[in-house]
Amino acid sequence: MPTAFEERSLMHNFPLNRGSTYLIFMLLPTNQSSSHPNDLGGIIMHMADALVSPVVGGAFWALSSTLIGWSAKEISRENDPRKTPLMGVLGAFIFAAQMINFTIPGTGSSGHLGGGLLLAALLGPHRAFITLSSVLIIQCLFFADGGVLALGCNIFNIAFFPIFIAYPFIFRLIAGSALSPVRLAAGSIGAATAGLLMGASSVVLQTALSGVSDLPFTTFLLFMLPIHLVIGLVEGVATWAVVSFIMKTEPGLLTGHEQPGRPRFAIAAIALAALLALFLLSSFASSAPDGLEWSIIHTRNNKEVQRNRVPANTLSGMPGALLVLGAAGGAGLLCRPKRVGAAK
Amino acid sequence: MKGTDRSTLLVTAIFIVAVVSVPKFDLAAVTALGAYPVFLLTSSGTALRTLSGHLLKLSPFILFMAAGNLLLDRTPAMEFMGATFTGGMLSSAVILAKTTVTLSALLLITLSMPFHRICRALAELHLPDVLVTQLLLLYRYSWVLQEEASSMQRARNLRSFGRRGKELRRTAPLLGSLLMRTTGRAERIYRAMEARGFSGALLLEEPAAFSAGELGTTTLWALGFMMLRLIF
Repeated sequence: MPTAFEERSLMHNFPLNRGSTYLIFMLLPTNQSSSHPNDLGGIIMHMADALVSPVVGGAFWALSSTLIGWSAKEISRENDPRKTPLMGVLGAFIFAAQMINFTIPGTGSSGHLGGGLLLAALLGPHRAFITLSSVLIIQCLFFADGGVLALGCNIFNIAFFPIFIAYPFIFRLIAGSALSPVRLAAGSIGAATAGLLMGASSVVLQTALSGVSDLPFTTFLLFMLPIHLVIGLVEGVATWAVVSFIMKTEPGLLTGHEQPGRPRFAIAAIALAALLALFLLSSFASSAPDGLEWSIIHTRNNKEVQRNRVPANTLSGMPGALLVLGAAGGAGLLCRPKRVGAAK
Repeated sequence: MKGTDRSTLLVTAIFIVAVVSVPKFDLAAVTALGAYPVFLLTSSGTALRTLSGHLLKLSPFILFMAAGNLLLDRTPAMEFMGATFTGGMLSSAVILAKTTVTLSALLLITLSMPFHRICRALAELHLPDVLVTQLLLLYRYSWVLQEEASSMQRARNLRSFGRRGKELRRTAPLLGSLLMRTTGRAERIYRAMEARGFSGALLLEEPAAFSAGELGTTTLWALGFMMLRLIF
């Protein structure tokens, strides 16, 4: 017999603010739930299933799954069940903190806390990665942010860069262990900005490799980076402000997880090697049927080639496709359990 | 032959791969694959209004990418019933159609299956215990912290005047306080869980072997998706 909270999983009752995060698309109007009409965090951008190819989606699934498995193994090795509920409530805190937005001077808009860097500072990289991955999984399942195949890309873009790259190599390096106010500010802002810029670049790379969008790589990159530079600075200042508050009130929270001597450079080297391999593999995988034709079409504007690429039955096949939909709907009605109808 | 929650998740994953593998201009194939979410919709008895309400919140990023294709690829691609269609028209329609069918399938699964069952199915699919426990705890405490954040937000709004009083220097201590309360709550939760025998994982059952029913259900659906891809 499920408990009351278990039965509350109906998505339309899920209480959380949909706005999450890190890669935010500012120029389009938002219809997301946000407590402020101009909230930057209310306008979000995740990679979506419709924009990734199976090769790219699968490769990043493999990469993110490996990172999750490795992080879970490290956590199991630590064998500290005390931190398990802390991870759960901090994940919930990331959602809740995004409800409380702040004004951004001179812009007329507002922002909210991101979370990746803060989680890494509070929990350490492995637990932070699992926590942020769980937040992204909830967003994928309940808010349809991104999609299942794109989940690997989103975990990599949004969680990997701030937690495994920006936190150890920028935040820890600049802020050091003494955590002086100036170094803390420089570390927070630098790491948050760098994490976001790396994530945004990765989105552009994944989109270009997938070959679904017609946006040229350089144009898309030049469009994304300035936006995410601004958002990164805002998120960095917010992270710095919260970390400073913790430093004054409960500094033990920031230092309890330190694990000197972890092979961090090895992690980065493996990730970069994986990215390079992905780039090469995807070029092979997509260039045979698509890349060559694409370049011919766009460099010579060859209408005949374009015509040949479009399946002849793509529109004439629509009546048949709609017939299939009708048949599936009918089959669904036949398979529908009687109690569902009775409950209504 | 009867599937389980585990096979439902597997079939949905196969479906998403099938949709994503449809070429850039093939609108009919994506539409035909929409049979799976349509089947889920009618068999689960989910109200269409509930589903469409969530679909209308399509990511701005998707809309932007679809609009980009529409504007950048204006090469006439085909003529149908006297009208000329550009490559951009077709590819942007395919992006929107792929988004709609994949998100519909995902939303229908979460609408019709309680979250603890989804987590149990994920554990049966050998997701790490740490992640499954984290998902269950995150889901549980989101409700609690949401209420807490909501009352803090309301209290601050009542004490501020328009945008004044909502600056970061005033909001940061608020967020910090929420964080302190959160960590305090985690400590109490841990003590309560420890008193009840918690040892690191919430789901302790060993996953059962993949049954013939599950295998048959998954294979049938996979063959169905393959057939639709071959026909359209």
